[in-house]
Amino acid sequence: MGASTTTLRSRYWNKEAQLAYLLMLPAVVLLVSLMVYPIAYVFMMSLYRTDRLGRLQEFAGMAAYLEVFSTRVFWETTVRTAVWTVLAVVVKAVLGMIIALVLNVEYTGRRTARMLFIIPWASSVPISAMLWKWVYDHEFGLLNQTLRATGIWTNPPVWLGAPTSAFISTIWVDIWVGVPFMALIFLAGMQAISRDLYESGEIDGANATQKFVNITIPGIRHLILIATMLSSLWTFNDFNTVFILTKGGPGTSTEILITAVYKHGFEWLRFSRAAVMAVVTFVILTMLSLFYARMFFRQERDL
Amino acid sequence: MSNWRTRNRPLVIGLTLLLLGLMLFPFFVMVSTMLKSSQEIYVVPATWIPRNLTFANFSRVWIEYHLLLYFRSSLIVALGTMVLNILVSVPAAYAVARLRFLGRKAVMYLLLAIQMFSPVIVVISLFRIFARAQLIDTYTGLILANTVFTISFATWMMTGYFSAIPSEIEEAARIDGCSRVGTLLRVMLPIAAPGLVTVMIYNFITAWNEFLFALTFINARAKMPLTLGIYQFVGRWSTQWELLTTSAFLALIPVLVLFYLIEKQLVAGLASGAVKG
Repeated sequence: MGASTTTLRSRYWNKEAQLAYLLMLPAVVLLVSLMVYPIAYVFMMSLYRTDRLGRLQEFAGMAAYLEVFSTRVFWETTVRTAVWTVLAVVVKAVLGMIIALVLNVEYTGRRTARMLFIIPWASSVPISAMLWKWVYDHEFGLLNQTLRATGIWTNPPVWLGAPTSAFISTIWVDIWVGVPFMALIFLAGMQAISRDLYESGEIDGANATQKFVNITIPGIRHLILIATMLSSLWTFNDFNTVFILTKGGPGTSTEILITAVYKHGFEWLRFSRAAVMAVVTFVILTMLSLFYARMFFRQERDL
Repeated sequence: MSNWRTRNRPLVIGLTLLLLGLMLFPFFVMVSTMLKSSQEIYVVPATWIPRNLTFANFSRVWIEYHLLLYFRSSLIVALGTMVLNILVSVPAAYAVARLRFLGRKAVMYLLLAIQMFSPVIVVISLFRIFARAQLIDTYTGLILANTVFTISFATWMMTGYFSAIPSEIEEAARIDGCSRVGTLLRVMLPIAAPGLVTVMIYNFITAWNEFLFALTFINARAKMPLTLGIYQFVGRWSTQWELLTTSAFLALIPVLVLFYLIEKQLVAGLASGAVKG
């Protein structure tokens, strides 16, 4: 017993370990005081009644949870968030794949094309969302003008003005931001696949589609997984696009959990309810993150 | 393969141009609008090429709308975040990459997991904390909030760069009598310099583009960073689009340039996690 304690101590509380903890201390202090503590505080807020400044009043147990869970809007928002995330990520992956394939063909100007495709990802999301708000403008926006002038759509919708078109317009901006990341990751994967594989595929008489399905896709399978996972988390968290374009409206047609949390807190000053939704969001994100981390480390082992 | 590619090259180029038009559409609109007068943006049908080309919006945003103040705030916050982040992330990354201690695996796991936490979750309570600490309407508050949310990614990337350095190099320095901290500063950091620069630029960009914390913690115009400052052009009933697009253009140039510098490393880092073991 005594001997094993000493070995344990010498293994884990030696000079090297002490230095490690010391070097990590500043990061840990910041993370604990400005991330862990605030999250704990949000849990507290969800269990207390709060005043309009978010100060804790009296303990209320699960009252705020019951209030939130009994509203229809909360469940609609949750389902919409799931639809929003899945739909956006699927379209991002498909469009990203098309762009990656296009960029994988050799032609002059390919490097320029690659540089240009990155711009939506490289630019600032809040600023892009503001630009899109102007693009979508019903009367004076250049999108509708172009659609009318070219005859593609002579009577285009008031994009951000009606529930369905607002949802489509908003999710498109989120997709538009996320596509270049997918494309670049896929392209990097494609370029790492050995040429020999394609050549032997050709000798076996495989056509372009067969080569894509049997060589390209398996070759970048792990990258597709990682990119999809990362993109899901970003999409789920995309506050800027929704808040700037529609603030969740008209009605609640573009509301997702993350914007609902913010609006309950800072627009309607219902901090307990905001905290309940933040806790729900936290639980969902934690599950997704742990899933991602596990998948990531499993892959590391496989490689 | 090459055969297929040659045959379909015109098709591919056509598709590329179509997709580029789709992806760059809002930027064409931005450039078109910023060169119009405030009357011409409300002309129906809207014009792609301004009838009266004007650069007046540029001087207006600088002189009448204090864009310089927003630029200054963004610069202070972004540089502050960059520096503070490096000061805490580099030592932590060195510990994770090179030292043996209890809980090392758990730390790596956590770094990856907290990378995904949305600022929105904490912002409702962080507001209370900042109000009590009198950090509302301060650059310090924004720098602290931005730093906390960039620590995990920065540490994760730096861990990868440090791990990639052969341990023989470090051991040689240690035999020559260099301390651990000495090797970190004099041997490891210079070798990992390209990685360090990538992480610094990434932090700068993240802070430059940040909107949520600014929206929540900043009310004073003089302290607003660019994203929030430009958002002030969006009015309840009408928006000054010609000024918004001009400011957007000016605000985007620095981040676009910086992004191109690190784009390759960023993609590699995100794809592989940059970390081995």
